[in-house]
Amino acid sequence: MNVRILQAQPHPETGLERASRVAATVGLLPILLVLMVLFMAVVEQKFFGMNNLFNVLRSTSFLAIIAAGQMLVLIVGGFDLSVGAVIALTSTVMAKAMALLSAAMPDQTAAVIILGVLAGLGCGVFIGLINGLCVAFLRISPFMVTLGTLSIATGIGLLLTNGIPVYGMPDVFVKEFGRALWFGLPATVYVAVALIAIVWFIQQRTRLGRYIYAIGGNLQAATVSGVPATGYLVLTYVMCSVLASITGILMTARLGSGQATMGGNVMMLQSIAAAVIAGVSLRGGIGRVELVALGALFLSILTNAMNLLRIDSKMQLVVLGIIVVAAVALDELGKRRRVRD
Amino acid sequence: MTDAARNPAEATTFLTRATLIQALLPIALVLMVLGFTIFEPRVISADNLLNITIQASYLVIFATAQMVVILTRGFDLSLGNTVSAVSVTSALVMTGMAGANGESVATAIFLGVLMGAGVGLAIGLFNGFAVAWLRVNPFVATLGSFNIALGIATMASDGRPVFNVPDEFSRLVYSGTVLGIQMPIILAAAVLVVIYFLLNYTVFGRSLYILGANPRAATVAGLPSRRYLMMAYMLCSLIAVVGALMLTGRTGSGEPNLGGNLTLESIAAAVIGGVSLRGGLGGVQSCILGALFITALSNGMNLTRVDGYVQMIVLGCVIILAIFLDRLRTSRM
Repeated sequence: MNVRILQAQPHPETGLERASRVAATVGLLPILLVLMVLFMAVVEQKFFGMNNLFNVLRSTSFLAIIAAGQMLVLIVGGFDLSVGAVIALTSTVMAKAMALLSAAMPDQTAAVIILGVLAGLGCGVFIGLINGLCVAFLRISPFMVTLGTLSIATGIGLLLTNGIPVYGMPDVFVKEFGRALWFGLPATVYVAVALIAIVWFIQQRTRLGRYIYAIGGNLQAATVSGVPATGYLVLTYVMCSVLASITGILMTARLGSGQATMGGNVMMLQSIAAAVIAGVSLRGGIGRVELVALGALFLSILTNAMNLLRIDSKMQLVVLGIIVVAAVALDELGKRRRVRD
Repeated sequence: MTDAARNPAEATTFLTRATLIQALLPIALVLMVLGFTIFEPRVISADNLLNITIQASYLVIFATAQMVVILTRGFDLSLGNTVSAVSVTSALVMTGMAGANGESVATAIFLGVLMGAGVGLAIGLFNGFAVAWLRVNPFVATLGSFNIALGIATMASDGRPVFNVPDEFSRLVYSGTVLGIQMPIILAAAVLVVIYFLLNYTVFGRSLYILGANPRAATVAGLPSRRYLMMAYMLCSLIAVVGALMLTGRTGSGEPNLGGNLTLESIAAAVIGGVSLRGGLGGVQSCILGALFITALSNGMNLTRVDGYVQMIVLGCVIILAIFLDRLRTSRM
């Protein structure tokens, strides 16, 4: 990520050069996004209905948070297949905890909510620790570790609930948070924006962020330079799982019940797709959260647009698959051309 | 390519230890089966051992398919859905042909198999083209075809199973026997033998190992890397087609969600057996070992009546543990 600093610029940039440099760093994504919105404006007016926009914003928020976590793990050269299962586990544990606690102490709603949310976050920390410790200390391939925890977390979630939705969360939590509008926008959006801002700040302004890039760019070089790589690796996996866990909390609050089938492999694959579309390298070392949020927005709008245009849900899968591959292929071709220049 | 091979002097000192660690997984497999036997004597009965072998025949085929691309540092996420798509399309052709035009059943089966192979090869071609020529990361490329294959499978069948696959087909790939050996075992053995020879005795097969161990060296050495890489993905899909047809024969219908967990299971089986996700390491024997291990584990848990959800948790722990043992093995050698 430091390549640009090394490129000395002896002559002042012309406007055209600056534009092409910006285009090169930001990529095709914003252009595609604008084109898609314009297309929808012409073809389907319903897209700009208040309810529809809120839906798009909500699903973008869910996806952006989980994709931000996935991005962090991808930057350190890893993978997290377990994020979808963490959502399911968080959802069931939190709902179960809240239901039990509110039966035990019906008057103290605030305490019930706080403890329930903490229990949910605890699941994220727990799975994240397993992932991180196995990857960093036992040096097991991240793919296999998180495949293991995917199975473990899904199993625990199903075991706790027998696959039956868990009801009994405090009404306030669902009505005033999960389904609420704050200042005219879904509450979820504020949480997502805040989390993205935090991740952005970590990436750009803190030692943690720089170390994460360094570890992903070249683990050996980072270790030799004195970066305590194992500790930071564990921390990265925990952050990813906690972000997934927060997505689980938001989705559960929106739905009003805890479900062991929430998230699942679809969310996991989408989080990776959103990150990769946004130019996060699967080889590590590269990735910016603001672009990942854009990637999440792109996928959400695409899905929503196809729904509005009444494209068959099975056909949507095909379209989504082709678009993900095409986006990455274009990105890859663009990079090669730039290298040749 | 082991350390022992590179430094003959050290070979003797490390021999005993290396052999011990090498044998860790087979020992674990035997211990596990014996452990289950304590709780449930039927585990070790001849019937059940045969049952485990038949069950493992399916998984070993998918693990072998997966191995072919893992050797080149890739993997195929679309494998499970390829299986679904092949199952549905071949079943549709078979039932359509056999029912309507009064064609002979043999023709219907032949065309069904041909259709399945065509669909599988098309998906493999897509994967291979995206990975080899467009340089898309295998994860993303096969994630794309994961969706596409799922779309094909559900669209072709409207999301419903395709019933009335000819009995003759089921007999051919599932219930029939040759010399008293069940068809699934024979088919799996045939696939394994072919792939064994392909990997060990052909330029293409040897090149896959080089492509995975050191892609740049492969290119510098003048190997047609792109073509071989693409062929690897097509071969992977083609092997998956064989497994898909066998599963279709077993259920007697084309199932749009037949693939389900096969992708992750096949990767787990291959890697537990010792195929390295970093490429260039592994063989047919790894897949046999891994597939037997996973099948024996779930068979043992089923017979000892372990709750299905608990089984998922155990499987997760075992995957992590097995990979850890394997890492010990490869790093020591």
